[in-house]
Amino acid sequence: MSNNDSVTIAPQSVRLFHQSLFKTLVYFFLLVLVLAGAYKAFPLVVDALFLIVIAAILTAVFNPMVDRMESSGIRRIYGTILMFGGIVGMVALGVVKGIPTLLTEVSRIKDVIQQNSATESLEAMIGDINTRIAEYIPGFQLDLDLITSLSAQFFSQLGSILASALDTLATIIFILIITMFFLVDGKRMTKKLIGMVPNQYFEMSLNITYKTKKQLTNFLRGQLLAALGVAIQSFIGLSLLNWLFDTNISGVLLISTIAGMANMIPFVGPFMGMVPAIIVSLFNNLGDPIAASHFYYIIHIIVMFLIVQMIDNNIISPIVVSGSMEMHPLTVILLILVGSQIGVLGMFLAVPAWGISKVIIQEVYQGLKGHHLI
Amino acid sequence: MKEKVNISYPLFESFKNKLKPNRSQAQMALSQVNVFSRLSWQEIKIVENAVHIRNYAPGEPVFKQGDPGSGMYIIIEGSVGIFLDIPHQSPKELSKLGDGDFFGEIALLDASPRTAAATALENSTIIGFYRPDLMDILRTKPALGGKILLALSEVLAVRLRSTNGELVKVSRKLEAALESGANE
Repeated sequence: MSNNDSVTIAPQSVRLFHQSLFKTLVYFFLLVLVLAGAYKAFPLVVDALFLIVIAAILTAVFNPMVDRMESSGIRRIYGTILMFGGIVGMVALGVVKGIPTLLTEVSRIKDVIQQNSATESLEAMIGDINTRIAEYIPGFQLDLDLITSLSAQFFSQLGSILASALDTLATIIFILIITMFFLVDGKRMTKKLIGMVPNQYFEMSLNITYKTKKQLTNFLRGQLLAALGVAIQSFIGLSLLNWLFDTNISGVLLISTIAGMANMIPFVGPFMGMVPAIIVSLFNNLGDPIAASHFYYIIHIIVMFLIVQMIDNNIISPIVVSGSMEMHPLTVILLILVGSQIGVLGMFLAVPAWGISKVIIQEVYQGLKGHHLI
Repeated sequence: MKEKVNISYPLFESFKNKLKPNRSQAQMALSQVNVFSRLSWQEIKIVENAVHIRNYAPGEPVFKQGDPGSGMYIIIEGSVGIFLDIPHQSPKELSKLGDGDFFGEIALLDASPRTAAATALENSTIIGFYRPDLMDILRTKPALGGKILLALSEVLAVRLRSTNGELVKVSRKLEAALESGANE
């Protein structure tokens, strides 16, 4: 009897084994297919995620304004359209007014460099710099050829820079469209997403989302207000320098905007904002023998930016920026180095992205701890 | 004897149906809660868009004792038991709530830990209205948020008055007991 049983059971178990082996192989094959697809689609997914993240950050910035309009009785969709209409109008005005000015400025600087008198003046200036610095650093030598070749390289690549700027413009428009959808329907989307969370973690997830959103909005709004503050101060400061000391800085509005934006990068940003002003004033003063004999105007610019930084660090930032950006200088430098691998945008985004991640991690940790889940 | 003849008028019926308010279960449940009872149907619809409708299996906790409180719950369908966890003992059932009942409304104002646990006793559909939802309403619809806050304050005032009444009763009883003890 037992023999018969073993005879009947054996083929069944073998069949079962084959079935499970077949199932495992099918699953494995599907997994390989999915992984291969994911690997192939990875760059696309990363690109899409990048756009979504930027749009989400912009949503966090603009959401309070749309909320404010909604609270005064304007429907959310109309509020969003109104706000975007304003932004697009301002950007269009900036492009229409700014690009011709920028192009004129670039061609003017190009002409100044190509003039013989300017080259002589530049040569004289470099010679002067070399002798002055050589007093402190023996053997220091600034090469004119290097500067000329660098500027020639820059102007030859200007076309490709403009072409990539058009590419960037298309991306910006795409990001703005996503942001619009997020602003109008973001609440419903968030509600749907949180709705998928199991009951056990639901309350916690809702609280974390709310607190993180609040912190993020405060952080980004603070950063933008501080940047706006620096831009306005730089504009006033540079205009004053032009008026009082005849520093001859052109494109003050553009330089101030760059200074404001660069200010979002701690420690390094303020110096990055200072550089365009110095370069422009150096080129503008090339033909001037009095200006070439001393560099007080550079010192004026440096002092002005230091005053702006003092006002920003001691008055504006403590009021508008939340304490979530407290970082060790070494962390900031490392982050900027990592960000620079992606490009200038990476340098800009590395520190705020870290700040945002820090806020999210803190809130998730506190939420899990509050609900006794860790 | 005359027989009553019912004549249907399809156009009239369709028109009547169109006019008849089509209210969801959630809206009906919300309108019965004292916090929302004074709101118009239009306002209740806004609240309905803000709340979360969740389904719980029997024995599944809605929240645990000691969890940070973050909102109130309204039972649309099913039943929920409120339990007090006592160390080294099985949880003590304080009350059993059913359709239309609500609990946890004070947590809308205060994030202090839950003093008891709530567990679904059967398959239940429950509305969750949380502090972030209230804050959102306050930010985007301040007038509606104000109405909800006022109703919440009234709930608190009623409870405070009843607690004060109970306290007076207990202190009188205590005084009487002390007096009788002194006389003896």
